[in-house]
Amino acid sequence: MVEASVEDKRITLKEAVKLVPDGSHLFWGGFGFQRPPMAFAHELVRQNKRNLTIYTCGSEMDIDILSGARVASRYELAFYAIEGIGLVPNIQRRIREGAIEIEDYSNLAMALRFLGGALGVPFMPLKSMLGTDLLAKKRFRSKKAEVIECPFTGEKVVLVPSVRPDFSIVHAPRVDREGNVQIDGIKGEDVEGARAGKKVIVLAEEIVDTEFIRSQPDQTVIPNIYVTHVVECPWGSYPMMVYNYYDYDMEHVRMYYDQCKTEEGWQKYCEEYITGVNDHVEFLQKIGIERLMKLRAKKPFPY
Amino acid sequence: MTKRCAKPEEFTTLELMAVCGSRQIKNGDVVFIGTGLPLIAAMLAKKTHAPRAKIVYEAGFIDSNAKDIALSIADSRLGYRASAAIGLIETLGLMLQGGHVDVGFVGAAQIDEYGNINTTYIGSFEHPTVRLPGSGGGNDIISSAKRFVVIMMHEKRKMVKKLDYLTSPGFLDGPGAREKAGLMGNGPSLVVTNLCQMDFDPDTKRIRLATVHPGVSVQQVLENTGFDLIVPKNVQTTELPTPEELTLLRAIDPGGIYIPRAK
Repeated sequence: MVEASVEDKRITLKEAVKLVPDGSHLFWGGFGFQRPPMAFAHELVRQNKRNLTIYTCGSEMDIDILSGARVASRYELAFYAIEGIGLVPNIQRRIREGAIEIEDYSNLAMALRFLGGALGVPFMPLKSMLGTDLLAKKRFRSKKAEVIECPFTGEKVVLVPSVRPDFSIVHAPRVDREGNVQIDGIKGEDVEGARAGKKVIVLAEEIVDTEFIRSQPDQTVIPNIYVTHVVECPWGSYPMMVYNYYDYDMEHVRMYYDQCKTEEGWQKYCEEYITGVNDHVEFLQKIGIERLMKLRAKKPFPY
Repeated sequence: MTKRCAKPEEFTTLELMAVCGSRQIKNGDVVFIGTGLPLIAAMLAKKTHAPRAKIVYEAGFIDSNAKDIALSIADSRLGYRASAAIGLIETLGLMLQGGHVDVGFVGAAQIDEYGNINTTYIGSFEHPTVRLPGSGGGNDIISSAKRFVVIMMHEKRKMVKKLDYLTSPGFLDGPGAREKAGLMGNGPSLVVTNLCQMDFDPDTKRIRLATVHPGVSVQQVLENTGFDLIVPKNVQTTELPTPEELTLLRAIDPGGIYIPRAK
């Protein structure tokens, strides 16, 4: 028998989330409103995962959901808020309860930590964080960052530890079933973050024919060699945005923000939109196809 | 060229702040900004005196020419007619740390008299009362941009003697401190608030009143400031916006997302 020339890495969203044991360390892809793995966050909540550690540069409603549902207990990151609206409501509450802990870095520090992990070196140097509490204060890491004098020039640099998380979770516009990933618009820190993970799960708006990818290989930003599993997941970043695919639904985001100001409001949201539905498709049905279609990107604009 | 100024009743304080910010951008500058007023200020600068300014957003949009107002620095709106869409290692690493960024714009929840900034916690580190967004790229921009401008609201609880948490470095504890710490950028150049503009005394590196906005007294600024502000003998009034600047501003943000229209 001849082996198929194209490996098929496709699994379902439910299967992908089942692979993540409690206590796992995850690189969390997307940046700000762009391409957060929202559907993956919902499924982590539905499968009642616990004690995850999340590594990211800047994330918003997606990690607020992970905090609200007590899925993640530790974060190493640079930024979170719901931009244009306010501070993330669930994380505020969980911090006050002592249910979550945050180790703060700068965005460049986090991006370099992923690059270091991807490069297989134990640390990376940078010129940020110097002279500040980002260096002086730490939460749970035994070593967070170190200042050294460069052995060649004597200049001061900060060393930050590389990250090799158990899983990297990335939401992309297009992937083929072999795991070749194409990302439109900004890449944030996903190019490095995807390469840092021991296992890499890519969710995508569409799974395209491998011949399509191979007709424009210069557009591939994560080659299949890095990718373990591929999940077809249209509207997987809703109510946030995917470049060239759809805009954000600010009405929904605002509703989430207002409702989550109280614990009761968050519980109600969670039950209605996350745990009260069976899967991502049912969630989308609840939002409504008409509403989604209005958010489709309208050329020549990428939104 | 003579410049006609608008009358104080013809513009709002937020409009004046945006104009103050835009005037800090020189033609050809590489400008690093976030969303909010800095975004409006940079768009205005490109439409007036600095058409060759290049606006860079840390998420990866480079030389953006957005038509619509973005809510997020990763907003697809910023991709419209940008010259490149790359990522963080490019913007914060190669471009910024590589030394190519002339000016950065940042906000602050607290600032002290050396221009150090807190965007992380209110309250103690052990038991914070409010968790703010954190550094994001703020610490990187403030550390490595050649200069940076702060735009924030002027309140006593924000202008403090001691920060609850030092997220990003101004002049740290005075002259020579940035250099000693190993920082690349030259530090803060201006703080724009709803009451005044403040710069930094070149010898002591301490914050100093530069101009007061029309209708605002020096006394009013001092009453709303929690640290010792250097007040020079003659404090001028902030240069007013021109009618042209106001017209452009209102066309940039017609929906009043960052600058509500009603006065």
